[in-house]
Amino acid sequence: MLLRASSQAVGEEVDLSAAVEDAADGGVEDGSVLTAFAEAVVRATDDLDAARARALETLGPAKFVEAAATVGIFNGLVRVADSTGIPSDAMMLERTADVRGDLGFNRWAGARSSGVAEAPA
Amino acid sequence: MSFDTPRFDAGRFPVPVREDLTTALRRSWADIGRTGTWWTGPERVAIAALARAERIQRNEAPWSRNRGEPRTALPGKAIEAARKIGADPTHLDRDWAKTTIAELGDAPYVELASVVVTTVAADAFCEALGIEHEPLPEPEPGEPTRKRPDGMGDIGAWVPVQVVDWHRANVARALSLVPEGVRTFFRMVVAMYSGAATDFENMVWDHRPLSRPQVELIAARVSALNQCFY
Repeated sequence: MLLRASSQAVGEEVDLSAAVEDAADGGVEDGSVLTAFAEAVVRATDDLDAARARALETLGPAKFVEAAATVGIFNGLVRVADSTGIPSDAMMLERTADVRGDLGFNRWAGARSSGVAEAPA
Repeated sequence: MSFDTPRFDAGRFPVPVREDLTTALRRSWADIGRTGTWWTGPERVAIAALARAERIQRNEAPWSRNRGEPRTALPGKAIEAARKIGADPTHLDRDWAKTTIAELGDAPYVELASVVVTTVAADAFCEALGIEHEPLPEPEPGEPTRKRPDGMGDIGAWVPVQVVDWHRANVARALSLVPEGVRTFFRMVVAMYSGAATDFENMVWDHRPLSRPQVELIAARVSALNQCFY
């Protein structure tokens, strides 16, 4: 998981549960603003306008655009992976072996493509 | 010609957007309307329209969405695939893909997916910025080349992928059965996320206003919300 690797690279310890919890900051600067923004876009919830306004106010225009771009492109990237059944890279599987079960990733349908699926929850 | 109409104009954005990002969006958007390797321009725009219309209703159960009669001559499986990849990525599985690919062909399926993911990424970016979706491009005339690339093989994915001299992440070769689809979508990936290959390899980024952990937190959250194991 590049979230952990990139945090370690700057001497920070990230809480990976932020990937699966609502509006969690994970120990990342402005993390809760970023995750709440991402959640509102993906879910198309009624609080999208508020989440967007908060992101723009907190981050400023340049960082806000980057956040929007990341949300946008990852909505495409997840579909690339899940529409082709592409298996995860061996290195990534090895690096995430200690957290995937706890976070519930191994129960997702796509886990079968990488040969690590558990029974669905 | 109609595809020269400027798209993603700077004036549409509520805040300044990097020129390289808008350039990538414009070029990839125009690609949707171009004749593909396996689908015509009108078919590709129809695929994009189906994916968009379905994704807009993503919070509704599939059976309760307002679809109407599709105004396209696309095969039924292509219509279903555009909708499903666009709006319900968590419901994709090998059995469904096997049936769909058996009917459409593996390369046409991959090209269809490339059009859908390009559309979804651009649409989600617009939603994040709080602006209307970009109008779909006007389709160009022309006949698909139906040319299959060499060097494809089986790595356990649902479709063949490039296996010769490959040293990058698997997701970057997921669409490699249709090289034009790779170029269209990954041009946007470079501009919206990874930067150049050397930037991606570095865990500390200085080419983006956000730090890499901030970017990866968003990436992880979006992936988890979509239950994407990859």
